[in-house]
Amino acid sequence: MAVFSKAPLAGLLAVLTGATVLAACGTDSTSSGGGGGGTTIQIWEGYTQVEAKAFAHLVSQYEATHPGQKVNTLYVNSDNTLQKVLTAVRGGSPPDIAYLYGSWAPNVAEIPSVVNLTQVVKRPEVNWNDFWTGERAVATVDGKVIGIPALVDNLAVVYNKTLFAKAGLPVPGPDWTWQDFVADAKKLTNPAIKQYGTAYVTPGTEDTVWHWEPLLWEAGGQLLTPDNKKAAFDSPAGLASLNTLRQMAVTDKSMYLDPSDSAYGNLFNSGKIGMLVTGPWDLATFDNVKYGVQVMPAYPGTSGAHQTISGPDNWVVFNNGSAKTAAAEQFLIWLTNATQDTYFAVKTGDLPIRQSVGSDASVVQQMNTAVPGMATFIANLGNVKQARPQIPQYPKISTVLGTMIVSVLLGKSQPQAALSAAAQQVNQILAAG
Amino acid sequence: MAVAVRRPAARRPSSRRPSARRVIGSEQFSGWAFVTPGVVIILLFGAVPIVWSAVMSFQRNNLLSPSTPFVGTANYRKMIHDPVVAQAIQHTLVYTVLFVPGTMLVGLFLAVAMNRKIRFISFYRTAAYATMAVSTISEAIVFIWLFDPSYGVVNYFLSAFGIPPQQFLNSPSEALYVIVIMTIWGWTGFSVVIYLAALQGVPQQLIEAASIDGAGPWQAFRRVTLPLLSPASLFLAVWLTINALQLFDEVYLSTQGGPLNATTVLVYYLYIQAFQQFNFGYASAIAYFLFLVIIVVTVIQFRVGRRFTYYRS
Repeated sequence: MAVFSKAPLAGLLAVLTGATVLAACGTDSTSSGGGGGGTTIQIWEGYTQVEAKAFAHLVSQYEATHPGQKVNTLYVNSDNTLQKVLTAVRGGSPPDIAYLYGSWAPNVAEIPSVVNLTQVVKRPEVNWNDFWTGERAVATVDGKVIGIPALVDNLAVVYNKTLFAKAGLPVPGPDWTWQDFVADAKKLTNPAIKQYGTAYVTPGTEDTVWHWEPLLWEAGGQLLTPDNKKAAFDSPAGLASLNTLRQMAVTDKSMYLDPSDSAYGNLFNSGKIGMLVTGPWDLATFDNVKYGVQVMPAYPGTSGAHQTISGPDNWVVFNNGSAKTAAAEQFLIWLTNATQDTYFAVKTGDLPIRQSVGSDASVVQQMNTAVPGMATFIANLGNVKQARPQIPQYPKISTVLGTMIVSVLLGKSQPQAALSAAAQQVNQILAAG
Repeated sequence: MAVAVRRPAARRPSSRRPSARRVIGSEQFSGWAFVTPGVVIILLFGAVPIVWSAVMSFQRNNLLSPSTPFVGTANYRKMIHDPVVAQAIQHTLVYTVLFVPGTMLVGLFLAVAMNRKIRFISFYRTAAYATMAVSTISEAIVFIWLFDPSYGVVNYFLSAFGIPPQQFLNSPSEALYVIVIMTIWGWTGFSVVIYLAALQGVPQQLIEAASIDGAGPWQAFRRVTLPLLSPASLFLAVWLTINALQLFDEVYLSTQGGPLNATTVLVYYLYIQAFQQFNFGYASAIAYFLFLVIIVVTVIQFRVGRRFTYYRS
């Protein structure tokens, strides 16, 4: 039976063409909004719950105080924003502003329609140097500013006060060392009741890697040479940092290894883990235990002192014509100024993105009362002295480093062998460009 | 049958060109008219990306920058020298070889057990199918905790038999098998339903005839029931294999390809290449390689399966 014949196919084609034309019309009519008296900008953000509420409040406040300006917000899960932005850029209709993870910055810089904000942040009302060093570093790629800081955090040690008391240990002080950390972890470990001194995430992703990078920096090491051309972590500092991890994971067995990146928080909240290197976002979920927060330990005798790593995120502006770009810049400058930053930090518990707000005693006190330990995380922002290399190859390098760290943690390779192998691979990646 | 059939209209010379009204009124036209919306959607969201990714597989393309140089077969040649691709192929094959027969056997066993009149049978049937209704994320979280090296129930049971605790998802040599078990559990409901439906179609008189001829229950199952289930088995084998070769969700949710790439399968690796490392050209090449593998495997399955499949007409 001849199901297919030519005439109906032609009809089908006609219908198809019609549909395409209709779709094209649809795009045209929607994208020609704005203009005239006011400007409407579209912003993609990933806020939920308290953050969403606070952000919506700020947006409506902005619209009320800036007649003619309209801000349309669209919720996009932040994990997927870059994928969606890429699609939208290809389709010719990117949002005017998108919330993008800082780790994407070097790749985001390659998108042609990303607006260069280098001149914008020089305006006095931006007060660019009031943003933390780590934030400015992540918003800048090859000297070009591609975003305005949207969020900042950092890693510190959250410890269980009850478990420290039970083990007869003094709680960590601000001058503690990694030697202290390792010794405490060992004493806090009790296999009989399945209690661990500390934990580490081992999927081998960037989450694995960024927990290790501050150790390298504190030991006085660097990830890459200053020109970002060669690996520099195959060094005594790199060895010291991996030896610290190996001591706990392999020798003392004081470290719970979490392959799924999802269990450690619950375990800490159940009193099964003594110390956790984590960020401020976890604090609110630790409601079952009495916890304290201390800065990351140091390696004595090195230049590194106490450091930490920050994973700042950016507001990135996309070019949809000069009117929209100007409106988007104006909104971001307003959104990230000290008044709005104070409101957002106090309402949501997100760390202040400005140093002036972070050093405001009343803000710190309010945040620390709402969620104990916040004061330490805010002060710890001063310990963010370095950022990950801002190069497009970083995601590939991160994969290599993840494998290196996990192979040491699982006892599959010795620290020096793992360092050498990883350095060789990283050099290849960098040479390939 | 010698009934006089009216000659088809098209044979008559006067109406060689069908009039417009006749075309619109024809069954073919209305058929196409009905399926057009579906066809448009499939072309738009299926065919276009398929063609586009074929083009991308010959480019160096990160989707970010507008420059997308044509690199010929470089992406395909790169696969040959990429050790992770070799690992991913190996993991995908091991997974498929264990998952497909595993799911079919467990499903067949449960379906046979439930193909009888016992109390609460509909409850059991619903329970078996519930594994399909549970979302993959819940499934993954439950299995992560079941197989947790320190706190998991599985190690607790093993210790009751004197077996030392296993590292499971933390062990490069065990993680893939945990994912096999997890996905067999998740897909069992599907194979139970297919087999149950097929079992309903096995005529009781054939089994009675076999037992009158002296066949025991096992022989009757082996010689009568199983051959009659063969179309269902072939369907399941093909369907589950295609799904197995495309394993992603469970890996993404439980191990993220780790530890040390032990659970990196092809689709997960192409996801990493595309969306973490922005090598869309290379990822497209891997996708096309997988596409070829699936076609070849499916054709072989149909060829071989035809020999063992019995269709009652």
